[in-house]
This record gives sequence, C-alpha cells and structure tokens, in this order.
Amino acid sequence: MSDIVTIKGLKYGLQLTFDKGATFEAVQANLLNKLETGNGFFIRGTTVFVPKGYFAEEQNEALRRMFHRHGMLFSTELKRPNLAPPSRDTTTKAPSQKLREAVEEAQKMMVINHTVRGGQEVKANCSVLICGNVNPGAQVIAGGSIDIRGTCRGFVHAGAFGDKTACVVADRLMPVQIRIADIIARSPDEPEKVSQAERAMIKDNRIIFEPVAR
Amino acid sequence: MSQIIVITSGKGGVGKTTTTANIGVGLAMRGNKVALIDTDTGLRNLDLLLGLENRILYDLIDVTSGRVQYKKALVRHKKYENLYLLPTSQVKDKSAVNPEQLVKLCDEMKKEFDFIIIDCPAGIEQGFKTAIAAADTAIVVTMPEISAVRDADKIIGELGRADKENVKLIVNRIRPQMVEKGDMLDMGDIDEILSVVCIGQVPDDENVVVATNRGEPVITMSDSTAGQAYKNVVARICGENVPFLKPQKEGFFARLKKLFGLL
Repeated sequence: MSDIVTIKGLKYGLQLTFDKGATFEAVQANLLNKLETGNGFFIRGTTVFVPKGYFAEEQNEALRRMFHRHGMLFSTELKRPNLAPPSRDTTTKAPSQKLREAVEEAQKMMVINHTVRGGQEVKANCSVLICGNVNPGAQVIAGGSIDIRGTCRGFVHAGAFGDKTACVVADRLMPVQIRIADIIARSPDEPEKVSQAERAMIKDNRIIFEPVAR
Repeated sequence: MSQIIVITSGKGGVGKTTTTANIGVGLAMRGNKVALIDTDTGLRNLDLLLGLENRILYDLIDVTSGRVQYKKALVRHKKYENLYLLPTSQVKDKSAVNPEQLVKLCDEMKKEFDFIIIDCPAGIEQGFKTAIAAADTAIVVTMPEISAVRDADKIIGELGRADKENVKLIVNRIRPQMVEKGDMLDMGDIDEILSVVCIGQVPDDENVVVATNRGEPVITMSDSTAGQAYKNVVARICGENVPFLKPQKEGFFARLKKLFGLL
C-alpha cells in the first residue's frame, strides 16, 4: 500500500502532499507515527509546508502544534521562513499583539549549516542553530537562544532584545565574549581547555556556565 | 584538463610568493607546462624569487590593456623550459587590472598550459578579488601563529562568498621544537579552526632565505627540509597520496653541541 503522505524536499524545508480522499485524522495519525519513529526526514528546525486551504484553519493549528512539539516549524505559505527583521509598521498594532508576535518570532529557529568564519556575522530575531563552529572573529547575534553543534570561539549574543531566559549552548563553549540580554561576560585571560558541552545562562544577574549532557 | 590555482593568505609575509615559486618549479620539474601570474601589482616579487627580473620586457598590465599578446609578456625560466612567468608592473597599482580582464586572460591561457598559478597580493581588497576571480582551486597559506590563522579563516570565508569551494591549506614556517614545547600552534589546533584539507606542512628553514636571495627556489635544493616538503605539496596537487614529513627533532648530540656553544 502506498503512503498517504508524500514528502518532498525543498530548498527551505519539506513539502507535504496528501493522497486524494485521505481524511485529516488519517493524515495526522500517519504524520505522528512518522515523527515518533524518526524516519530521518524530520530534523529539528526544519520547516514543513502544507498547501494552503487544504485543511481547515483549526486542523492546521493542530498540525502546527504537533510539529512544534517536535521542534519543527509549520507553514502554509510556500516561501522561505521570514528571517528578516520585522517591518516597521508595527506601531499601529496593539502592544499585546506586538509582544505576542515577538514571542512567536523568538520561538522560531534559524539553521546555519556551515562554520561561521572570522568576519562573518549571523543575525536573527529568532533562535539560531549552528551546525558547525563559530570561529574567532565571527559574530552571532540572536533574539532567542543560540545552539552551536561545534566549537564556539567567537562573539555570541543571545536574547539580544532583552530576553533574560535565553541561553547559549555549544559542544565546546569558549567564546571571546558572551552576552545574554544586557549582561556581558568575557573569556578568562588564561584560556581553559573545555572538554564537554556547556550551557551559558543568566543566574543572579551573572552569566554562568554549566555542563549539559547531549 | 588544465587547472587554475590561486595562492592566497590574507596576511602578508606568510610565504605566498615563495609557495607560488616552489609549486611552479615543482610542477614544471614533473614535466607540466606551467604559467605563473603575479598579481601583486606595485609590489612584485615573484620574478626575484625565480631570478628572472632582468628578462622582463612586458607586464600583466600591458597584456590586460591589450597593448601586447600575452605570449610576448611571458618570461621563460632559464632552467625549466616549460615554466613561464607573467610578471606584473612595479609602477602601477592594483586598480590597473580588473577581475574580468584576468578571467579572460586565463581562459585564453588555459588552452596552452597544464597549470596556471596566480600569486595573490595580501589583503582582502580589490587585488585579492581580482586574483581569485579566475581560479578554480585556492591554496591558502598560513603560519602557526594566531594572527595568520585568523586571517586565513577570514580568507576562507571570503573565498566561500565568491563561490570558490575547492580550498586547500598549506601551513608554512612550522618550527617543530616550538610546537613540541607548546609555544606554537600545532596542526591539530589549526585544523580544528580552519577545517579545510591540508596539503602541506612546511618547516621553517634557513635555506628558504638563501634560495630567495639567489633566485633559485628552495625546492631545487636536495638537502633542504622545506624543499622536500614543497616536493610533497606538488605531489599532492598532482593527486598522489604522500604522507606528511615527520617533524625533525634535534638529536641528542646536536643539543649537546648547542649546549657547549659549538654550533
């Protein structure tokens, strides 16, 4: 029997199409099964596209929640996830809505699939996942948290808009300078050897490093 | 299929020109037809290292501006008949050549040569952009020193931005004793930061200075460790799988002699 859900890889994520006549419940169950068995397609931070208007709004919402739980983004607009700074016309919107948008933005994630080298800069309103190193002389500035699957030797700033709950995680966390929200810490003058993954976060208004398992 | 290789580094004084001269001679010694193009306009040195300064008639600017055919400007090496140098001007500056002109020139020269090796100026400005424009392979030269490695990293990033994905690394002027004592970055540290394929580890060797002053690249000296390392680099460029040289340790007697001031 052929699968009722077809997954097609796109430049910015995965496009899902469904068999004609497949019910929403069947599709949802099928996807949940795929997510939980981990078939290799659904990697954290990937955007999943479903054709607009295929499902009702509340059904889309259910799918969105399901993908979010598994660390993925969900979209009905077939375009690159919006990583540019939000437009300035937010003044007309109510402050509560603005806040909600900011929180939503911070929950998104930008994925960088290469090493960030000296002189290069990564800026995002959302969180950033870097699969590679952050070399000395490089800058990573994120509105949310920063996760580095590699060695961090550059300059990192998490929670750049004041989010004090943001954190920075790296396999080897040895940044030149680290900022979380408005708090700054610099590397010790005597370099230390770091052997395990660490997380930097704010505790009692200071940036602390603690080991994490991963 | 001919290859166009640019030798670059970002930082000055790490041995770009020395490397260009040695690789050029090495490839020619193996029977390849090789052209070396110096793009360090205004600060040309490659002709000195090859001992060809007195034979220059025309230069790169004459060629790119259309005054002469490139064949007229080529200087044939006195010993290696299939090695040619296209020198640049010492009086003009980097703005005298633009990337399109160099790409056009290299396209034309590709028909004649097995290897075209471009010596890039230091820095990341106009001269660098011109030099890398035509290349399909880039060799980044660095030294086991924090500033040179930092600049090499930046250069690799810039090469990536210019869609040059084929990047190789040569680490020059390694001093094994200092590495051993932990006073110098070792290959592991450099590899971890730069993470590109390394095709050469060249020890610091006094013979290089001698060779430069004589105008005979060190690769022609049979007793030089740097020369041997460059021979291995050339072999790796030709696709051979050569192991890296073991760092030469100072023997017990050499140290003893040094201790008594006999050396």
